[in-house]
Amino acid sequence: MSRAVPAGVVAAVRRSVSMVCDPEYPEVTIAELGILERVSSSDDGSTVRIELVPTMLGCPALDVIARDVTDAARAACAGADISIEVAFVDNPVWTPDRIAPSAVSFLAREYSVAVRRRSATASCPICGGTALEHRSDFGPTPCRSVEWCPQCRNPVEVVGRVEFPAAMEAAQSDPAGPAPMGAAQSSPVPV
Amino acid sequence: MRSWDSMEDFEAFLDGGGLVEPDDDMPDAYRQAVFRFIELHANSEYMGGLTERDWIAKAPGLTNKLTALAKTQDEIGHAHLLYMVAADMGVKTRDEMTADLLAGRTTFHNVFHYRAYSWGDQIAIAYLVDAAALASQQAVFKNCSYGPYKRILRRIIAEEGFHMRNGEELLLKMAKGTQQQHDMMQEGLDRWWWPAVQLFGPDSPPNDVLLRWHIKSERNEVLRDRFVQKMVPQLQAAGFTIPDPDLHQDPDTGRWVSGEIDWEALKAAIAGRGPDSERRLRDARNAWDGASWVRDALDEAAAVPA
Repeated sequence: MSRAVPAGVVAAVRRSVSMVCDPEYPEVTIAELGILERVSSSDDGSTVRIELVPTMLGCPALDVIARDVTDAARAACAGADISIEVAFVDNPVWTPDRIAPSAVSFLAREYSVAVRRRSATASCPICGGTALEHRSDFGPTPCRSVEWCPQCRNPVEVVGRVEFPAAMEAAQSDPAGPAPMGAAQSSPVPV
Repeated sequence: MRSWDSMEDFEAFLDGGGLVEPDDDMPDAYRQAVFRFIELHANSEYMGGLTERDWIAKAPGLTNKLTALAKTQDEIGHAHLLYMVAADMGVKTRDEMTADLLAGRTTFHNVFHYRAYSWGDQIAIAYLVDAAALASQQAVFKNCSYGPYKRILRRIIAEEGFHMRNGEELLLKMAKGTQQQHDMMQEGLDRWWWPAVQLFGPDSPPNDVLLRWHIKSERNEVLRDRFVQKMVPQLQAAGFTIPDPDLHQDPDTGRWVSGEIDWEALKAAIAGRGPDSERRLRDARNAWDGASWVRDALDEAAAVPA
């Protein structure tokens, strides 16, 4: 006999998991970072499914995030006979545009981390300077590049690389969705 | 650009919580002290990254390999940011800092002068050394007077906190594992306990300029003691012993009191005479030389007009 997860439970799980914080930045939630995509109940009503969008496929924090989300979901439906399913989905693709404005300003203020949104130039989170000089594609994490602000003479880490927006736009305008990883390498290369 | 008429004025500015910025006309002694401190930190992150890298291939299982990969990226990235700030201070160029490190003319933390033999050592490092490093970095961050350094420390601390959580999880896993795993973990702790305790350094001198100029915010012995108070009960609760036969609890205060610390071991390590100093530096030189073609290729690519 099919049954439905009570709507109240789905809402409670959504509330609870949206407050799970990033393992490295414990003041920013996964909802604000655009990692939380959807909370829904399965057709047979036995399961609450939580879909997460990884900022990067190789992100080393994925396991920890999945565990924290599972714990938060279990806590929200304590006592109810409901299973929890946490899945990382590959569509949509995460982009810096998914970060909420509140988190963008928090990361700038507290961590001096800038966010480069689509079709926008990143400015220095410390002095507001816009002439950031690119120093390396990757810094302490592969999701941030390292730049230098010549105005206030501070290194700045930027989420979203210079070429990132254009690549993402191309992937998302493709009706088939983003190309699978490695597709570019497997296509014939003109000599 | 701000300037100060006298050292007294400058110190009053620091005591009031003022942040020094790169354009400020800071006293030269302050510039030198901050530079040396950041250079030591950068060297240590760099050497730590190379150590971590050794474990990408050796760590058991994909998850641990991914963690080793991420930690390597973290440490090298931290070194990169720190070297940028240090080079900007105008005391030495980045190339000079690299050359000095690889030639053994400058120093890095004692813990990177020892050899990690087993996975148990590697977890002991993640658990003890990362925790000790994090505690000292937090103390520097708290009251740090040099703006660019303080901003980097904020992020380093956030990332190192994640490493420490990983170290704790791995230690508990070994604690609950087979007798063989337990023994391997205990051997790791036996090898790394003292280097981690020594990482905090000997008692701070009475008039330490690093404290006076708000580069450090706590005395070495205070941080070291806090580390011992935190770690001893945690390790004992997990079923491990501390390799210090004289360690005891003060009957009045309940605080843990360490046995005598062998500061000669610390001095020898820092001076490059540690058990693994020579191999570590040779490895670092080989890594640097072996990657020269990458740097050359990037320079050439950058020189080609688009």
